[in-house]
Amino acid sequence: MSDAKEEPRIGVFVCHCGHNIAGTVNVAAVAEMARHLPHVAFATDEMFMCSDAGQTLIKEKIKELNLNRVVVASCSPRMHEPTFRRVVEEADVNRYLFDQVNLREHVSWCHSREPEKATEKAKDLVRMSVARAAKLEYLPIKSVDVIPKTLVVGGGIAGLRASLDIAERGFDVILVEKDSQLGGNVAKWTHLFPSDESGAQVIGPLIHDVKKHKRIKILVNSKVSEFDGYIGNFGVTIKNQSTGKAHRYEVGTVIVSTGFEPFKPVGYYGYGTSPDIVTLAELQEMEPGKQLLKSSDGKPVKKIVFIGCVGSREPGKKGHEHCSRHCCSATAKAAGDLRDRVDEALVLYQDIRTYGKGHEEFHRLARQKHVIYSKFPQDGHPEVEVKNGKIKLRWFDVLGGVELQFEPDLLVLASAMIPPVDMDETAKMFSLTRSGDGFFNPEHIKLAPLTTHTAGVMIAGAAQAAKNASESVIDASGAAAKAVGLMAQGKVEIESTVSHVLPDICSSCHTCVTACPYGAIAMDEEHDPPVAIVTEAKCKGCGTCAAACPSSAIVMYHSTDEQILTMVEAYLCATPGLQGGGSV
Amino acid sequence: MTEKKQAALIVGGGVAGMQAALDIASQGFKVYLVERTPSIGGRMAQIDKTFPTLDCSACILTPKLSEVAHHKNITLLTYSEVGTVTGKSGDFRVRVRRKARFVKEDLCAGCGDCAAECPVEIPNEFDMNLGFRKAIYVGFPQATPNVYTVDKENCIDCGRCLKVCQRNAIDLEMKDKTMDLHVGAIIVATGFELFDVSQYPRLGYGHYANVIHAMEFERIINAAGPTHGHLVRLSDGKKPHSIGFIQCVGARDVQKGVPYCSRVCCMYSIKNAVMALEHYPDAEVWVYYADIRAFGKGFEEFYEMAKKRFGVKFVRGRVAEVMEGKNTGNLVVKVEDTESSKVRLIEHDMVVISPGVIPSEGMHTMATKMGIEQTDDGYVQIDHSFFGPILTKVPGVFVCGCADGPKDIPDSVSAGSAAAMKATIILSKGGV
Repeated sequence: MSDAKEEPRIGVFVCHCGHNIAGTVNVAAVAEMARHLPHVAFATDEMFMCSDAGQTLIKEKIKELNLNRVVVASCSPRMHEPTFRRVVEEADVNRYLFDQVNLREHVSWCHSREPEKATEKAKDLVRMSVARAAKLEYLPIKSVDVIPKTLVVGGGIAGLRASLDIAERGFDVILVEKDSQLGGNVAKWTHLFPSDESGAQVIGPLIHDVKKHKRIKILVNSKVSEFDGYIGNFGVTIKNQSTGKAHRYEVGTVIVSTGFEPFKPVGYYGYGTSPDIVTLAELQEMEPGKQLLKSSDGKPVKKIVFIGCVGSREPGKKGHEHCSRHCCSATAKAAGDLRDRVDEALVLYQDIRTYGKGHEEFHRLARQKHVIYSKFPQDGHPEVEVKNGKIKLRWFDVLGGVELQFEPDLLVLASAMIPPVDMDETAKMFSLTRSGDGFFNPEHIKLAPLTTHTAGVMIAGAAQAAKNASESVIDASGAAAKAVGLMAQGKVEIESTVSHVLPDICSSCHTCVTACPYGAIAMDEEHDPPVAIVTEAKCKGCGTCAAACPSSAIVMYHSTDEQILTMVEAYLCATPGLQGGGSV
Repeated sequence: MTEKKQAALIVGGGVAGMQAALDIASQGFKVYLVERTPSIGGRMAQIDKTFPTLDCSACILTPKLSEVAHHKNITLLTYSEVGTVTGKSGDFRVRVRRKARFVKEDLCAGCGDCAAECPVEIPNEFDMNLGFRKAIYVGFPQATPNVYTVDKENCIDCGRCLKVCQRNAIDLEMKDKTMDLHVGAIIVATGFELFDVSQYPRLGYGHYANVIHAMEFERIINAAGPTHGHLVRLSDGKKPHSIGFIQCVGARDVQKGVPYCSRVCCMYSIKNAVMALEHYPDAEVWVYYADIRAFGKGFEEFYEMAKKRFGVKFVRGRVAEVMEGKNTGNLVVKVEDTESSKVRLIEHDMVVISPGVIPSEGMHTMATKMGIEQTDDGYVQIDHSFFGPILTKVPGVFVCGCADGPKDIPDSVSAGSAAAMKATIILSKGGV
């Protein structure tokens, strides 16, 4: 293990990133400059530092030259800081003695038309990083225990599946549902796709299995009222909404599967002005009898029209810009099924997005059954007029190039999937962020769709984005795997880049306690006088407290004042060894 | 044998298989990850940027590559194929054929001295045959494991590599080996192939140099690719000023045996259209489509951005024909713009065809070995859309990624984790 007190011996590795950096920045010149900086024992440039060859080079040079600090000048640390931290650790250098410079996003990509200036900027950044590296300090690697129990929030198809998988794997689950019954949206639906089962047929067996599993504790009519703690050790208070009784539980991991709500499209296509204008979700809940009957007068429906993208795909309208993903296929399935019971069925659409397994087949089947598809323009939606109980529909058919009119007995609006009303409450409760569609942001949109920025809290199903039931089931099992992964290990590493209060300097003013956005600082009542104390597992290292502290009593490990000021100095003092201000 | 640590076998080292491997290994079980090619990474390693955030694909993938390679519970068996499979859930016996790579994995340090010396140059499959590699090669710089492989079909046995290798890692006499594994669960993550677009002669692929397909475009715009990321035409190396993207080629076409939607082509083409405009902001970029299927998280918003901010032009119509102009190498796309019912002739410098997705080669053989069923389209048949979307009809054998149908990256990753969950339920119960 490197001793922080020994003389710094820094290795600098400048990455070409193929042509990504080297195409703009003169990487050889940057490495050459670095070679002459104080404490630098080695500097080079390489094709790909993240490749196996690059990683091996770092480890070899650490051993060969006894390096105790490493600087990699490559891409954003967002992706590869963990990679390089692991690499230096494998060569017995503490991970906090590594520093990364972003020459790609911060230099080559944004200054691609000015290669010379970009090279100068790259040199500045590397010089600053080397100066900081010399001041970096060894920090211990800490871990905390993981309580082997998962809280699942939301008892729809995703929550049920996740609970069952975790329980079958041998861990305990608390399943919380705000409704009086489990099953969520799927339970209400009659026309699930792509199979021929009804929602009840799908959800029934799942509920049955969940209810009889001894590892699953079900709390219906209940909501999470308080949530605190950190990965592996969350405290959660669950309140029964009918009795008002609250109970506190300790869990190690959380899966948020709070699903969606079908949008009630008031103001769209006459919705609300006639009982015969319904949403697709409401159609799903209508009696699946032999004859489809009008709600207004009980007469059979002979002519039915579906309109797609209701409250979806509206550029510029917050919360309604996204595609709701399930509706095209659900509409095709419903229209195809109902076609046998009506004389005419029409689907008005913008694009037909029957993308999934078997979905194109429903679409084809619906057309074979003479369901008529008519495309309307994005900037000219159909118009609806309700007169004397009659629905009159007018629209422009793009492919025929003609205005069309129709009088359906029943108008079905395929309305958007939107977040439930209490989404914001849930977001705040679990410190989750929401994207433009209103649903929760995953940790990474491509490679980490099930985890979130709150370590230990997973998302599954429609809580993450509009999706269908089958996709939600897959997510649920995946999120369960993430939770089980943490619990099976039993321990999880936490960051040491946290803040620390120097008790002798703390003036007990409470400023940091209120400033901390994560509730990580409290007053240590055992200390006399009481001073602020940081719960390290909850601290995200944001530095807000250190900036707010009027007594400079808070040290940010890994971003100490000295480490930051030395970078400023290195920037201003361009020539190494030169005292005072250099050329800027 | 319940006291013995249970193991899982994963077939396919693409992003889905890697995710499954990591999620099983993190629970403390052992994983054998079998990959047919010399490196893990799959298709995602070849892609330039990913939609809808334009993340650099290789950059976000490489941490996963090294995580898999360095995980103490994962044994990587690259350049290997599954032979026979017997047994049942909790107790499978699998024979794996480890193809001779003629380089000893434990000795090779990936230094590349051998390749520098090798006199044979042949088209690199990783670059869609647009770039070159040697007969002793790694497909791409981040290849994992970073071990060279001798392509015996093209090797001329000159022995020069043997002489320069300081670690004596090369053994041109190496023979295939077999390895017998005992595993509790199997995950099929064999991915996909691209539809052969030359099956549409009217679109000119293979006849006209400037008609390329999307994966070739990915390699051309990639900074580590054969042109160092310079977007140029293959006929004369000139910058294209006008590019047309043709959608639904080998997808949604009953006559070609691909009636299903390939799910990713709309978005990867919009992404490539945007990337083309990032390279040449003055270029004209057209997309010829049937329906734009921007259905995933952030996709529709990305489509809107492509239209409004980047000015990508979208024409709804299936392209009838692509013709090549005299001497110029330019192309004319003939298409009925179905929104105006007019037949249009539009000239481009470059045409990029978006191939659909088909099951991976050898899927049938593998399905037969494992006793799993296939759909009419040739993918793995899943047990049930709601009760078992990652289960196959054989207990203990699971499926994820594109092996059971086209999927984008996040859906493949999610399915990889889900398959891991199902596998570990079996592994945790011990076994025979």
